[in-house]
Amino acid sequence: MTAVGPQAAVQVDIPPPIRPRERGTPLEWALMHLAFVAIAAFFLAPFVWLFAAAFDAEATAYIRVPGRLTLDNFTYIFRELAFAKALANSAIVAGATTLLVVLTVTLAGYGLSRLELRRKGWITFAVLLLQTMPLSATMVPIYGLARLLGLRNSYLGLILIHAAIELPFLVWLMKGFFDSVPRQLEEAAWLDGRSKLRALFEIVLPVARPGIAVAAGLSFISAWAEVLMVIILVDKQDMKTVPLAFYETFRTAGGYVEVQYGLVAAMGVLYLLPVMAVFFATRRLMVRGLVSGTKGL
Amino acid sequence: MARVEYDDVWKRFPGSDRVAVHALTLDVADGELLVLLGPSGCGKTTALRMLAGLEHPDGGDIRIDGRSVLRLEPKDRDVALVFQSYALYPHLSVRNNIGYPLRVRGLTLAQQAERIGRAAALLRIEHLLARRPGQLSGGEQQRVALARAIVREPRVFCMDEPLSNLDAKLRTHTRTELKALQKDLGTTTIFVTHDQAEAMTLADRIAVLDQGRLQQLGTPDDVYRHPANLFVAQFIGSPPMNILAAHRHDGELVVEEAWRIPAPAVRDHHGGTALTVGLRPEAITIEQDGGGPGEVLVSEPLGSEVIVNVKVGSALVKVRTAPDVRPGPGTRVRLAAQPGEVRLFDPSSGTALD
Ligand SMILES: Nc1ncnc2c1ncn2[C@@H]1O[C@H](COP(=O)(O)OP(=O)(O)O)[C@@H](O)[C@H]1O
Ligand SMILES: [Mg+2]
Repeated sequence: MTAVGPQAAVQVDIPPPIRPRERGTPLEWALMHLAFVAIAAFFLAPFVWLFAAAFDAEATAYIRVPGRLTLDNFTYIFRELAFAKALANSAIVAGATTLLVVLTVTLAGYGLSRLELRRKGWITFAVLLLQTMPLSATMVPIYGLARLLGLRNSYLGLILIHAAIELPFLVWLMKGFFDSVPRQLEEAAWLDGRSKLRALFEIVLPVARPGIAVAAGLSFISAWAEVLMVIILVDKQDMKTVPLAFYETFRTAGGYVEVQYGLVAAMGVLYLLPVMAVFFATRRLMVRGLVSGTKGL
Repeated sequence: MARVEYDDVWKRFPGSDRVAVHALTLDVADGELLVLLGPSGCGKTTALRMLAGLEHPDGGDIRIDGRSVLRLEPKDRDVALVFQSYALYPHLSVRNNIGYPLRVRGLTLAQQAERIGRAAALLRIEHLLARRPGQLSGGEQQRVALARAIVREPRVFCMDEPLSNLDAKLRTHTRTELKALQKDLGTTTIFVTHDQAEAMTLADRIAVLDQGRLQQLGTPDDVYRHPANLFVAQFIGSPPMNILAAHRHDGELVVEEAWRIPAPAVRDHHGGTALTVGLRPEAITIEQDGGGPGEVLVSEPLGSEVIVNVKVGSALVKVRTAPDVRPGPGTRVRLAAQPGEVRLFDPSSGTALD
């Protein structure tokens, strides 16, 4: 049989079947694992420094085995730098932001997913456009607006601005979650005799729970870590949040006095722990949520 | 107990140029099982959803027991719908799925348990009550969905292709059970399917839809023996009715220029002498005497019967015969049509002429 034109080309293009290979030579195995270790070390190094330096009496900017283990860094930041107040401020701001954001994105995401609105496509893309704008470009008007409304150095100002920052992306994300909840579920609940609002609470929201957990986790973490807006809106000592206190401990010392790396690291540890706690508390839901939620995007 | 009326109901979805439901007028008697039958996309689901209140018609009226329901929310219509996808609540156990409509109605826990127990026993799913829908097979989910619909004793059952996700054996089995259950409960039921065999076995009456228009409304026998037009003739029956070109000549019909049959009396039509003839495969008999206008192409034995494919003129005629009649390919045969079973259609409009 003679292979003619296109058919021959097609046959040539078929890749050979991939055969599962044996483990490879010992050298290949060693090189592969060396590469893994190098990559892991690269990402882990900052955290190693953080935890080593926080408990080190003579910490430097570099990783070293603590000369003398101590808790002095922690006692100092609480006694002298009022870190407890910063932690409380951050907890209040991040917690309230999360509540506000979850409430808002749940309703907005549901609305964008289910309601018949004219120009819904435009609204949805406008939300996404907001997300792509670099926030720092609007620093000045945000500052001016906050001053005008008396929202500087206030919880309300921080909560509102953090919520505003997170809303566009999370609205978009929640719309995706609700899109993936079949409409027939709530229709079934209506026919079973439920009002639309109660069907939303009893059927749709429980089914969308992984999505809500993702939104809550992401909004808490990002409100907890946000620093730029705090710098703009806060100049009173007792309104500082954790990232600002952390940043200032590092910055004000720089240049004039020697940086107290042990203090910076101790703050860093306490800055990091709640984020990790939130992540581990919601990680199962997060993974489930992100996998199923992004399908609808 | 309820009587359902569709009165000149129209529906066109926004942004679509096709009319989904076209002037549908339909009457379902109290306790009747009416099957809405038609090909995919003909508007069956839309018709059902308008009754349930999940879509709003653009025109016309829908009444239950003589009272318009158009202004009622779905929750106030007292219509139960079994979705094609079942729509079981994934976060609730089977027990709570079935009990949900009862909880909504504020029944006491004891009343709920009693009714759930009865529905579960009826559908033989008592052993599944503690499970979640995700842990059930398709057939089991289907039973749970039915249980959730019957447990609240609604005025009307709507079922949207509830058997289409089941395998063939379970489907025929459930079909029989469903019919018995419906007769037992005596609840007015509208059952949607695209499967003509399912429609024939289940229905008290069948409403055949095509492209949003009601083609025929009648008992299964009626629809089978006296299709109102060529669409119904070809949609119902397997194999479907043979549709052949013919013309009138000397009080006889000349079919495909080759086969002569006595012409039945029909009312006047505008087609001149040209006609379209419809013959069910079982309304034709084969005589093998070495001659005749037909030539056998192939015989398909199906166990209890044989479908013989005969070429007549340029057309292919399917004939249903007894299992022992199996003429080989190339055999010349004579065909005879049972006089009472010859159907005539207007060739231009396709409507029946009797
Ligand atoms: N939500 C909708 N939006 C736009 N068109 C729809 C919608 N639902 C159904 N249709 C259209 O209406 C017609 C009837 O659909 P449907 O009632 O689902 O048919 P069936 O159930 O008989 O398969 C189809 O042409 C379908 O594309
Ligand atoms: Mg359908």
